Amino acid sequence: MKDIDKYFFGKAANDKVSLEVKPGEIHALLGENGAGKTTLMNILYGIYQRDGGRITWKGEEIHFGSPREAIDNRIGMVHQHFMLVPTLTVSQNITLGLKSEGHPFPNRRSIDEKIRELLSAYNVHISPTDKVSSLSVGGEQWVEIIKLLYRNAELLILDEPTAVLTPQETERLFRVLEKLRQEGHSVIIITHRIPEVLEITDRVTILRDGRNVATVHTSETDSVELSHYMIGRELKTISRTPNTVSPQEEGLGLDELTVEENGRSVLGPLSLSVRKGEMIGIAGVDGNGQKYLAEAVLGVRDCSAGKVRLLGGDVSSASIQKRKDMGLGYIAEDRQNDALIMDMDMRENVLLRMYSKREYVKTGFIKYANVDETAKEMIETYNIKTAGLGKPVRYLSGGNQQKLILARELAGSPPVIIAFHPTRGLDIGATEFVRQKLLERRASGSSILLISSDLDEIFALSDRIAVLFHGKIMAVLENDGNVDVNYLGRLMAGESAESGSNSRRVE
Amino acid sequence: MIETGLIAALTAFLSATLRMAMPLTLAGLGETFSEKSGILNIGLEAIMLSGAFFSFIIAFMTQSVLLGVCAGIAGGIAVSSIHAYLSIHCKVNQTIAGLALNFLIMGLTSFLFLIVFGKSTTLPECPVTPKIPIPVLSQIPIVGPVLFNQDLFVYFTFIAIFLAWFFIHRTEWGVSLHAVGENPKAADSAGLNVFRIRYLSTIANGFFGGLAGSYLTLGLLGFFMENITSGKGYIALVVVILGRRNPPGILLAALVVGAAEALQFRMQTAGIPVPSQLFTMFPYVITVLVLFLAVGKSREPSALGIPYIRSRR
Amino acid sequence: MERLKAALSYILIIVIILSLAVVLILSVGSDVPKSFMSFFRGIFGSLYGFSEVLVRATPLILAGLGVSIGFRTGFINIGAEGQIYWGAIAVTTTAYLFPGLPALIAIPLGIVAGFVAGGIWALIPGYLKARFGISEVINTIMFNYIAINILGILVRTVLKDPEYPLPMSSKLPDGFIFPLLMYPTRLHLGFLIALIAMVLVYVLMWKSSPGYKLRVVGLNQRASLCSGIPVKKYIVFSSLLSGGFAGIAGVGEIAGIHYKLLEGFSPGFGYVAIIVALLGKNNPFGVTAAGLGIAALQVGSLSMQRQAGVPASISWIIMGSIVLLILARSTLLTFFAEKEKEEKV
Repeated sequence: MKDIDKYFFGKAANDKVSLEVKPGEIHALLGENGAGKTTLMNILYGIYQRDGGRITWKGEEIHFGSPREAIDNRIGMVHQHFMLVPTLTVSQNITLGLKSEGHPFPNRRSIDEKIRELLSAYNVHISPTDKVSSLSVGGEQWVEIIKLLYRNAELLILDEPTAVLTPQETERLFRVLEKLRQEGHSVIIITHRIPEVLEITDRVTILRDGRNVATVHTSETDSVELSHYMIGRELKTISRTPNTVSPQEEGLGLDELTVEENGRSVLGPLSLSVRKGEMIGIAGVDGNGQKYLAEAVLGVRDCSAGKVRLLGGDVSSASIQKRKDMGLGYIAEDRQNDALIMDMDMRENVLLRMYSKREYVKTGFIKYANVDETAKEMIETYNIKTAGLGKPVRYLSGGNQQKLILARELAGSPPVIIAFHPTRGLDIGATEFVRQKLLERRASGSSILLISSDLDEIFALSDRIAVLFHGKIMAVLENDGNVDVNYLGRLMAGESAESGSNSRRVE
Repeated sequence: MIETGLIAALTAFLSATLRMAMPLTLAGLGETFSEKSGILNIGLEAIMLSGAFFSFIIAFMTQSVLLGVCAGIAGGIAVSSIHAYLSIHCKVNQTIAGLALNFLIMGLTSFLFLIVFGKSTTLPECPVTPKIPIPVLSQIPIVGPVLFNQDLFVYFTFIAIFLAWFFIHRTEWGVSLHAVGENPKAADSAGLNVFRIRYLSTIANGFFGGLAGSYLTLGLLGFFMENITSGKGYIALVVVILGRRNPPGILLAALVVGAAEALQFRMQTAGIPVPSQLFTMFPYVITVLVLFLAVGKSREPSALGIPYIRSRR
Repeated sequence: MERLKAALSYILIIVIILSLAVVLILSVGSDVPKSFMSFFRGIFGSLYGFSEVLVRATPLILAGLGVSIGFRTGFINIGAEGQIYWGAIAVTTTAYLFPGLPALIAIPLGIVAGFVAGGIWALIPGYLKARFGISEVINTIMFNYIAINILGILVRTVLKDPEYPLPMSSKLPDGFIFPLLMYPTRLHLGFLIALIAMVLVYVLMWKSSPGYKLRVVGLNQRASLCSGIPVKKYIVFSSLLSGGFAGIAGVGEIAGIHYKLLEGFSPGFGYVAIIVALLGKNNPFGVTAAGLGIAALQVGSLSMQRQAGVPASISWIIMGSIVLLILARSTLLTFFAEKEKEEKV
């Protein structure tokens, strides 16, 4: 792929990106979230159409209009969200959409045989007659891979394949990938995990912000260099007053917090203590447990073990309402789905937080006069540009929507605040504003848990930085201006904390 | 002597049950195809009524049962196509579309009937399909007359059930149909044309539903009147759930309902004072129980009632 | 531009409907102007005609209000018919149990009984939906049939009038009968109750805290959850309210029109109520207007049949067509909107 351009709504997701993969090679496409890796592969696979550049496959220029064409040309992709029908068997899923011999009366037995051979050739212990619903997530991924091999894929693209695997399953996957390489298949792995890149790949292409950074041979590089490529940036000057008042009182406490899903632990055990007047930034690549963490503290998700403490009190089994009443403010990452009712107007969205307070609801009736007054105050204080109190918030810009959420959640100075991607999708002005407000809260003594995949933000605001990877805290660093960014990058990419660094480690 | 009387009564009862169950079976079969592909058609009543009306009109005018049946099928497909367009292309709420169609067709058939026949106290009649006994087999006591001394509709239905079962469970088309209703995204990415499969399944719905309506007029009753289906379309929806969207199951479920109806008639003519409603209520109570027990096993197609929107950029 | 397009599309729908009506009238050989005249005269031409509109609208408005509450919370109540039946059963049973009560107590009692009975009948599918995720669409249809059959059993056994051979209850004690609002029409207290219900629903949904939470749950379950609203409880609550108002519709029909419990007293009110709710955009005032509109359509069609010979079934055709056109309209609008978007990008 050469000089691929792809624009979404005027913003370049891919800017003159080039990629070259040789036959019989395992090639990693490395980068942070949003770097443009998946977009590039979706263009190759025919899901998106490129805006510029050329793609050649086996010497010929190609242009796929749909995944079907890619598959016909022996290119296959396993997406992050599996495309399987749970109520059908493995064998039926693999042959879905194909006209097997004897169509439409397939000889199930001979097909199953073929598939069984394929499965055992790669040491996959699944029977073709198993229903997909009975498989584990790892098993489902095997089915997806075998599906590609059954269709004679020569090039396989795997999007974050290890995201859903245990370490043992990852090992098995790597053995299979090696076998594929020996057989002459090419594999492109989209990932953000450096240790795996180092273990299995031949070459690595790093993307950042939609552009090529470098392409290197794996054997000639190391994690330091790779994390530098992946994340490397200059530290911007921080205009944040260090935490002068250091009370030892805890605002938010997490004690061996564990969250499970489908029997697997997706978060923890995780322990953390956020003091009053302190902001801890949770750094990490998206998808390493941030969502579970935020939801567990809010109360939307049950924790299977461990405790959550607000201002010293155990709230692990308290309702969300109770936690809010105790003083928890929550700035959601997905404002349209989690925090706002798009078709309701400003007053009713403000009410979303206030409906349990006496001054707004009396004997079941809503005192709209008070709601209006509060809303007007918020508009003034936070400078929210709105067409009117009575218009649906759908018509507010993203920045103004976020301001509304901030105003609402921060009203009453809640002592504990969770800010989950608080500046996502905002322009510079709105971003500055939000960060300002968070710092103000911090100065007045609130404990703030900042979860963000934007490292600039983490550096600008946090007193301490905790790195989250695979649901566990790799390390907690003091943000004293001397943080080794590369070390941070490696922690984020899964390296354990032992390897030397210059940063002061805390806990 | 009592024995033969009893046997004769039993035979007559079973035979009537089977015949009454036929429209439900056919309609249920059509709805099964539709639902398996993800389209819920509450307007099954409209399809049946349309089939009943048009088959009657054409049979009356041409005195030919065959042409009547064709007209009934056409009528059914016409209605189901409207539903298909609204559900697949316009992606509207399928429940409301179905309800609106029910009202529309009810009014339309009544209206047209009045135009053609005017207001008369005697109901116009049409030719009825004759019973065709199958030699030898129809001589078997009880089972013989019940199963093998029926009209062509019944025989066709038996064959249709078998073919439908085979189609769904033993062919690749059936697998594709299932995939479209369960996970249209997966089906789409596997190269299946979700929209086309859904359109075809609604045509099947119209075909069988129209046929079911035709049987009502040309097979069972021999006449047409306003709102002749009187809720059978809704009952067919019940049959689909009771029968777990599985053709042989649908036949069984339809028989249960048919038996309740036949029993009700018997009891009324016999003058037994037990309220027949106890029996007519029976299938619905069972369905609720079935729905309740099937919780967790999630028996309905996951994408049922949800329009498929293909997001491409 | 948006407003203009919206207005145009409605005008287009009206034009299509009118053309359809003309075609249908002509196909019966009737005179078009005469038919339209008789239609309007049936509604506005006489006091009785006008009152009939209000009479027929009463159950539609009440049940429509119930259905609309359900819709707003995501509870698709196809079971209004069964809930109406239970309301009727409830008021009859209550009247039997307390025959001597004076009207001042009996009437409110009857209404409450109907509300509770209808509410419970809807609550069962509502609970099953909230707790087990069972689709309420098919469930409520089942419950309709069960309710109709239960009524059939009751009027033949427990509630049967011993003096008549027909399956129906004896006449309701005087205390429970809704007084007529306007003699010699059939307009009864039920209509007033419907109007009161309309205001009540408005106040409940837009001025009270529970109503606010109901609407929030209906619009965005996830955000409701994140802000601490117990979603499941509110789904059940909404089903209760939904069935309750439908139940009152049943009370009105028995206490206001028939004065006894009998089979088939509802010619599908519960199903029409769904259309009424849809046309009224789930807004209490819109529902009332839609209820009146549909009732007017039916009364006018009857008049058209009597005086111009146009079959009354034309009202069903018109009603079904209106709904289908409105459904298709949103597609046509979005179709045009998307074309525009594509050209912009």
